[in-house]
Amino acid sequence: MNSPLENIRGQKYIGVVELANQAARILAQIGTTQDRGTVSEMPDERTLRYYLAEGLLSPASEKQGTASVFGYQHLLQLLVVKKLQSEHLPIRKIKELVDGRSERELERLLGLDAKAGAKNEALSYLEKLLTRSTSPASVLRTQNTAARPAPEMTRPAPNLSTRRQAAPSSPATWERVEIEPGLELHVRGDYAPPVEAKGVRRLTRLILNVLAAQHGNKRK
Amino acid sequence: MSYPQPRIEMFTERAKLSAGREQTVDVLIRITPPEPTATDEARRRPALNLSLVLDRSGSMGGAKMERAREAAAYCIEQLLPTDRISVVVFDDKIEVLIPSQLAENKSALKETLAHIYARSSTALHEAWVRGGIQVGEHLTDGAVNRVLLITDGQANIGLTNTDEIVTQALNLHQRGVSTSTIGIGADFNEDLLLPMAQSGGGNAWHVEHAEDMQRIFAVELEGLIAQVGHTVTLSLVPSDGARITDLLNDFELNETGRYKLPNLQAGTPLEVVVQVRVPAQGAGTRLRLLDLKLGYTPQQARSAEVVRNFLEVEFAPEEAVAELPQDVSVVKAVQMLMNARARREAMAYMDAGNYDMYREVVTSSIASSRRAFAPMAADADVIAEMSSLRDLADTANDRAQDSMSRKKLSYRSYDLSRSRRGGK
Repeated sequence: MNSPLENIRGQKYIGVVELANQAARILAQIGTTQDRGTVSEMPDERTLRYYLAEGLLSPASEKQGTASVFGYQHLLQLLVVKKLQSEHLPIRKIKELVDGRSERELERLLGLDAKAGAKNEALSYLEKLLTRSTSPASVLRTQNTAARPAPEMTRPAPNLSTRRQAAPSSPATWERVEIEPGLELHVRGDYAPPVEAKGVRRLTRLILNVLAAQHGNKRK
Repeated sequence: MSYPQPRIEMFTERAKLSAGREQTVDVLIRITPPEPTATDEARRRPALNLSLVLDRSGSMGGAKMERAREAAAYCIEQLLPTDRISVVVFDDKIEVLIPSQLAENKSALKETLAHIYARSSTALHEAWVRGGIQVGEHLTDGAVNRVLLITDGQANIGLTNTDEIVTQALNLHQRGVSTSTIGIGADFNEDLLLPMAQSGGGNAWHVEHAEDMQRIFAVELEGLIAQVGHTVTLSLVPSDGARITDLLNDFELNETGRYKLPNLQAGTPLEVVVQVRVPAQGAGTRLRLLDLKLGYTPQQARSAEVVRNFLEVEFAPEEAVAELPQDVSVVKAVQMLMNARARREAMAYMDAGNYDMYREVVTSSIASSRRAFAPMAADADVIAEMSSLRDLADTANDRAQDSMSRKKLSYRSYDLSRSRRGGK
């Protein structure tokens, strides 16, 4: 993934509206590509004036006529504030975290610095360790579930290196994935999602039924 | 941009060397990492990007599991909201219990930990990889990106080949994620956990009793926060005619022939002792005996810095040198490192089943330590070391203690070579 901030470092924003619009655009990108939950909530003009008053945003360093001119640092501050808000941090705490931070530090708080953008070496190395080989155990499991369509692994299979043949049981790795705020899926590493329409419908129905039942319980 | 540099000092046992004869000189090199200065950037400690990889296999049941949970909760408690934390628990299955996140909602994080219970066997390697991924996904320049592996057992599922795992820890370290290991009790594999941390650029800890867990966590965390430099190397060039015969810390050499030193931590000077064979010199001669280059990467920087220093010595008649006061810090450093070696030797005898020699090595270590430490018997480090040696002597006849003794030998030896002497 390329950082959505890649080409806008030098950009200026005349007036709070321009700044708010740019922030909204970027939040939309981050929100969809990074499963960041509620960050996509758009900042409006009034919110921005409030941030300025509270010192969450530094005052504009220059003016054009009566309009304040904002830059990259302001944009980052705004993005960080929105992000931390979505993580339910109180304004006071957010102010502490944003106050006096350099552009690089702000980028880091956003998790959008260069290293976080391009897949880093450490990560590709580790993922290689996980996918290095597929063991008989995992192949077997796939065959057992032959009723399902062939699995298209979207994430590395559990590391079942050939050494593991002697192991009494092979480990399954569970991972939590956020679907939307308030909803997570717990997925086993070897789980293969359905691809045919029928299977997809069946799964959707199952999930919705469970959720509906949960919701009903809470109401009672 | 410039960074505060470590201070390097060099000492010999006496201020001058004896003239007129060839000799071997112990040179103490003390490296004192810079204390954070008053400027804002430096005062802010490095951000932490941690993954706790926690064993919950059956043997962890009871007090161990409870203490590990408490220690993990303690760790979360210490973090700033700008730090990242993730928790991976493993037995034969691996679960990313807490995916990497900012340590903001601490009570919710700790609540999650309460649900860790001990279960079956140990897929240590894959769990470590999973922890690494949690850290790697948020790899941050200038932060301490670290996996902290906590286990009381041996890798018995998945990749179990020690050398291979250690190599992977080294490879991962070279890619920016370091590994520390905490072994609990007497049943884990120290030949895996210790080298894993050494190659992994982190620390190895042995928790003898579950109650000590939180203290060890505290020390590890303090170390992370105090870390001011990593990828530390030392190169030494003796003057013409002189040669380096030994480096008592037994640090490994890297691919360019430099010694690999532990990370620099503020408040924790590192003492290195090197032995130099010096040809005979006339009285009054001054000689630039040793040139030193310390390479390291400051925590906030991407590229390496180098600090240079050299040791100049003067030669005087033997009688005059004997009159000079003895620098006890040199004597102490030498003896500590000798004792570290003795422990490794004792361990080798233990492994070979030669218990007579094992006892013999421990006994003679005690004797030589008594002599060397005599002028500083009240020193806290010395007291800690003497008590550690006596403890070894006490258990040397008890085969049921061997597994624990072997861990004490290997960890204490490792600690001493890194100037962690336990006196405080």
